[in-house]
Amino acid sequence: MADIMNAIGRTLDLANDLPPIHMPDVKLPKVDLPKVKLPKVDLPKVELPKAETVKKKIAGISLPKFEKKVKYPNPAFFKAKDNMDWKAQGENLKEVGGIILQLFKECDWKEFVLRQKNGIAADFARIKSECGAFAAMTPEERKDIFLHGEKQLGKLYRSGCMATVRREWRGAKDTAYDFYEWLHMWGMLLGTFSKDLVPALNATFHYRWMISYMCCVGFMDKNTLGQKGSALRMSHLMIYDIFRYVAENLVFLAKCDAKNGNSAELNKKVVLFDEMTMGQIMAGFPDLLGIPYQLMPVFLVSEIDQLTCVPYIDAVESFGLPADTCPVPSSECGALVLDALPHMGACFISSSMPCDGSVMASSYMARRFPDLPVFHLTFPVRYEYEETVADAAEDIKACIRFVEEKTGAKWNWDAYFRNMKRFNEETKYELEKWEVNKTPYPQIIGPAYELFRKWNYEMDGGSDPRVPKTFRKVDKIMKQAYERREEAWRGKMKYRGIVWSCPAHYYANFSNWIANCWGVDILVEMESLNFTKPLETEDKELALQDLARLYERMVMRRHTNGGYRNVVDELWRQCEAWNVELIIMYQNVACKNMSTLQGILDEQARDKGYHMIWIEHDLMDPRTVSRKSMRAKVNEYMRTVMKAEPVDPSLVEFDDENAM
Amino acid sequence: MKDLKHLIYFENLLENADNELVEQAKAEGGLAIGYTCYHIPEVLLNVGDCFSVRLRAPRTGSIDIATYYMSNYTCEFARALVERGIEGGFNFLDGLAGVDACSMMNRFYEHFEILKMNEKPNFFVTHTDMPYKIEDYTVRSYVKQMQIRLLDVIHQSYGVDVSDAAIRKAVEEHNEVCRIIQEMAQMRKADNPVITGYEFHIINLVSYTCPKRLILPYLRETLEELKTREPDVKPPYRARVAIVGSEIDDPGFTKLLEECGALVVSDRYCFGSTPGREVLELKDDEPALEQICRRYMELSECARYISDEKVAQRRETADRLAREYRADGIIYEQMKYCDFWGFERALVSHIMSEEKGWPVLSIDRVYNAKASGQLRTRFQAFVESLEIKRIQKGGRS
Repeated sequence: MADIMNAIGRTLDLANDLPPIHMPDVKLPKVDLPKVKLPKVDLPKVELPKAETVKKKIAGISLPKFEKKVKYPNPAFFKAKDNMDWKAQGENLKEVGGIILQLFKECDWKEFVLRQKNGIAADFARIKSECGAFAAMTPEERKDIFLHGEKQLGKLYRSGCMATVRREWRGAKDTAYDFYEWLHMWGMLLGTFSKDLVPALNATFHYRWMISYMCCVGFMDKNTLGQKGSALRMSHLMIYDIFRYVAENLVFLAKCDAKNGNSAELNKKVVLFDEMTMGQIMAGFPDLLGIPYQLMPVFLVSEIDQLTCVPYIDAVESFGLPADTCPVPSSECGALVLDALPHMGACFISSSMPCDGSVMASSYMARRFPDLPVFHLTFPVRYEYEETVADAAEDIKACIRFVEEKTGAKWNWDAYFRNMKRFNEETKYELEKWEVNKTPYPQIIGPAYELFRKWNYEMDGGSDPRVPKTFRKVDKIMKQAYERREEAWRGKMKYRGIVWSCPAHYYANFSNWIANCWGVDILVEMESLNFTKPLETEDKELALQDLARLYERMVMRRHTNGGYRNVVDELWRQCEAWNVELIIMYQNVACKNMSTLQGILDEQARDKGYHMIWIEHDLMDPRTVSRKSMRAKVNEYMRTVMKAEPVDPSLVEFDDENAM
Repeated sequence: MKDLKHLIYFENLLENADNELVEQAKAEGGLAIGYTCYHIPEVLLNVGDCFSVRLRAPRTGSIDIATYYMSNYTCEFARALVERGIEGGFNFLDGLAGVDACSMMNRFYEHFEILKMNEKPNFFVTHTDMPYKIEDYTVRSYVKQMQIRLLDVIHQSYGVDVSDAAIRKAVEEHNEVCRIIQEMAQMRKADNPVITGYEFHIINLVSYTCPKRLILPYLRETLEELKTREPDVKPPYRARVAIVGSEIDDPGFTKLLEECGALVVSDRYCFGSTPGREVLELKDDEPALEQICRRYMELSECARYISDEKVAQRRETADRLAREYRADGIIYEQMKYCDFWGFERALVSHIMSEEKGWPVLSIDRVYNAKASGQLRTRFQAFVESLEIKRIQKGGRS
């Protein structure tokens, strides 16, 4: 073949070398062709479809997508080589073993056995009582319980227990579905951790917060308590995405941590973010891995296990930090004092957001990890001043340059725009949820949704291509439920409520309790109402300005910064838009931005005729204000001011002091 | 030592925000512009007919009404100002220059607006945005804020000349005050200083709270008096201390400390002389506003500055001042509920002690500290420990 090609090539070369040939002019004679008549043919009449129909048909055809499917997160991150120091692990295991042995020796076994006996006796008594109650019911009541679930959820709690006494009976169909999702979640968790099991398992011997994640499925149950039908399905879909993200990041944390996986290969690609700093900037670095550093060890885990942060708070207060500072930065600093955060990453993006306490926590970080390069992302507090936007965009540019310099990666506009288009689509779906919840038939309420909104807005931010699918599914279920005029909390839709200020981490499912107990349905909370303008996805300069606007309006900061109007006037505007009658006004005792407006909020609520229930809490420290005390504030208000009767009286008084 | 001639007069001036000299300046057609924070360059409030008054709430008693509005877990300084504002104590002001630097102080300015504490027709409350670090673009931003949100507002409200020339004129007067205060500050380096910490605190405070033009003659005279003042033969103090931390506008705090046997030789706190009383050298070929803003950012020791070099600067300044003024120990203090200094104090008090070797007393305190028995006990114990350390090192007892 090669010889033939060479021969052709040579011939062509020869042809190029030949002299030009001049052809003589020849005139052709004219020829007259005979005329032929063609016979007439009657064609059948065809009715063309109307333009509208064609358009519909075309719209219905799904063309194959040729977009390259990108796996998320990058599988290479999971496969990055670990460099575990086995000798150090051995020493650590020895130490842990020593602690366990000591616990074993010092355990009061008589007391332990007695407790177990009491527990078993209590279980028997409960089963007997439940069977007796069921036997005493009429056939209709039994049928109702069988189909629609139990009515007294307070019975699931037992004094002193860390978990509920059993799973909730939601009715045959919903219990089966719930159990399927329970298995589904466990499957995902095991599947994710098995991608690099050893460092992840090993992390449980180094960090107490890793143990708290063992009960994450219990957290899922807690957040869906009392939910059924469409509401239950939507909650499961959303919480699944959050836990997939958490599980993946826990694996990465363990792989990167110098005390565990110690993967130099992965650490080169890891950019750490300060608490609550949004992750959208990483959209422009598709080859890097952005991890919100304190999210898993401190922030999120405190929602799963109410007691996780207590040792951190105690440690930093013993160190000298005043007890009146916000528990978020306090806990993070405490975790640094106790060396409870992984040693990892190529660089760290610290931030001045959302409040004064967060600003200061970065100096503790620098103290613990002096060699970790830090960029301080600082946006104007008076973010509504238009003259500050350009300067905020400059800070983003400087941050991008910093990441490029420390990691060797290059900012990729295409990747950034692609992710932001996805984020815009997600925001569009979010706004549809709001529209439905503003109607007399709200559909998507409860802690799972509240958590999902914050996670998607702050952490995911359009980076995960799997998430839009969840949005679409939830949207479909929500709209169908709306068409059917379903009740999101069956039989418990009595009052329309809004949550303002930050909720207690140790009582993340408070809105769940208040709906189940008193029929107060939280339609939206302050932390969800953030920036919803579609982000620029064409012009680079405008895109950076939009990104700055987005960051400036992060969770909490959107309301508590930039002037009182953003939190006071905004509340009245939202109350009107969502047609609410009751405001759950959280008062994080250490949140200076909010507590400095308590008088104004109180006065104006009275003037405007809203019911406002003030609920104090200490965010991550349940010892200051317990869950029970938080509930007592609502109980008191509902009974004395609203003259209301509880929907589920078993939930008015119960003991969950030790419950996760 | 013989009493300073004007000390009692100065003390009286500090008894009210609306003091005799403020009243005099107002009667002469001056415009009183209130401010609280170093982030607002004082000199910019002294342009044209304006004069600056750094706000305090002297003789604060109950702050119950402010506590209703702002809760009891917030900065007492901010609450005391709200209380004083509600009482009408700031009705003399013609404008309020606010900074959104710390959330609680910001809410003081906002309550001023919401509760309509001053209803003069042209009265303004302006809010300026402050940077957290020093970069080209943050300096530009700071300049922009001072121009748009401060100077332009003053000009629009009262037609005051805020030109470059007017600013430079204000700087001249400002610099004279600073030179005097600096000269007095230097006297504290002596073994047996001719000025006590309390006296210096009083003099420095009047320089912040009175119109510059009117307080200057008294300051000049006091400086001359100090130059010839004879110290006591035996120094009355047992230990020299440097103070570092958040806002102290209460001379009673220094008095309490000195009653316990200390001599305050350095004042690195808000309302102190470092920073605040540095001379501003201006070049002719650059707008004065830009130079002032950059200089204020560089000199600021506010714990709000987050960048690494500013964090290091704060520690170095504390160490340098303690060494230059030959302190025996450092007191790290914070106003209770101050987030910035709460975090800073907790961490840096350890660093100063463990790395720099300074004996450190770390305290939080209420706004009016002079009546605090608890503080007195801690001060006494600290002075005693410093004295013992010195004796152990073979110094004088």
